[in-house]
Amino acid sequence: MDYIIAGFWKALDMIFSGDPELWGIVGLSLRVSGSAIIIAALVIIPLFTFIGLRSFRGERVLSRVLNALMSMPSVVVGLLVSVTLSRRGPLGHLQLMYTPTAMIIAQVILVSPLIACLTYEMVKHRGREIQKLGQTLGASKIQSTFMVISELKSELFIYTVNGFSRAISEVGAVMMVGGNIKGDTRVITTTISMLNSMGDYAMAFALGMILIVISLVINAVLYTYKEKRADV
Amino acid sequence: MEVKLEQVSKRYGQKLIFENLNETFESGKITGLVGDNGAGKSTLLRLIAGLDLDYTGHIYYDGQPLRKPLYQQMTMVFQTPYLLKRSVYDNIAYPLELRHRPAAEIKQKTETMIARLGLEKLEKQYAHKLSGGESQKVALARALVFEPELVLLDEPMSGIDAASVSFMEQMIQDYVREYHKTVIMITHNTRQAQELCDRTVHLNGAWMGGNQ
Repeated sequence: MDYIIAGFWKALDMIFSGDPELWGIVGLSLRVSGSAIIIAALVIIPLFTFIGLRSFRGERVLSRVLNALMSMPSVVVGLLVSVTLSRRGPLGHLQLMYTPTAMIIAQVILVSPLIACLTYEMVKHRGREIQKLGQTLGASKIQSTFMVISELKSELFIYTVNGFSRAISEVGAVMMVGGNIKGDTRVITTTISMLNSMGDYAMAFALGMILIVISLVINAVLYTYKEKRADV
Repeated sequence: MEVKLEQVSKRYGQKLIFENLNETFESGKITGLVGDNGAGKSTLLRLIAGLDLDYTGHIYYDGQPLRKPLYQQMTMVFQTPYLLKRSVYDNIAYPLELRHRPAAEIKQKTETMIARLGLEKLEKQYAHKLSGGESQKVALARALVFEPELVLLDEPMSGIDAASVSFMEQMIQDYVREYHKTVIMITHNTRQAQELCDRTVHLNGAWMGGNQ
């Protein structure tokens, strides 16, 4: 029990003394997951808004596929990206394996189905009415798409933040494609996993606490945003 | 804009909504579309608006079939209008922004419309938070601000107070007289059909007949 208490106090000391290694890991985690979510949101939201506004054969199949992909295990994503980026893989010549870029790619693939599925279902449910209005006001297809995004921005923002939560808390994919290299590709979750197996709990606790704080901040932001939107 | 229907039929799956409709909606007139529930009035308006292209027969707009530019010249107001999550001002200005009109024109036309509606005090409020009558006024103003050739109204005055109804009727009448545009409106109100509309058309399944 003593080692847990000692580890906890040391963790607090590391956090408040501004331990460079600890905060370097936190910074990289935020950069990787932040970049992944921005890229995914910028590509996926307009794309699936556009698709969601159209009626076509196979709509139900697409819904089911997206739903299934949403729960895709992160290790499977890690495996696919590893195979693609490894030296012998089709994109091996880019030499991206074990770099933050590889981790961003993996997280983009991981969170895209989540954002795509939620966006698609929301647009199918509410976007078509907005599109209909756009058409009666003379909006082009592109204008209608952006009108729908603008009208549903609260919901889409919430989906994006949920995607960020998933990205920053996952360990499998970033471990496989990043390699958990000290000072280079080590992020919060991979470090906690490694330190746990080494029995070095101080930094693991510190990172765990920071991860919980990040999660609380995300929830607070979401809660406040939802409340504000309800008032609007 | 004159709208002409030739042998227009509509089915939803196996269900026939109406068949072989032939009718001409004249330019510069308010035509009331009346009929029983389920007669297909809203469906017909959606076909004319180009929101539903799954029908047989022909619809001509000033002798032309529906083409992309025509969408810019017509509008439709629904029974329950969707107002954008923006201010009243922004909602009314929106169709003009879509058409990339100059900023000065947008401001002038929007402010004129707001003044006509008497909504100056509400112009900065969120439109989707307004009451039923106010919402309908904003929806109508938004539809008329860009001076469309054809205005389709799907019971826009049902369930709102008498003062708002009277105000909107006057607005529609002024619009048609001032700009010589075409209005087709669904109504269940006999007084409205007689007083506001230049002509009423009865839609009853397969049959359509009109009276002056």
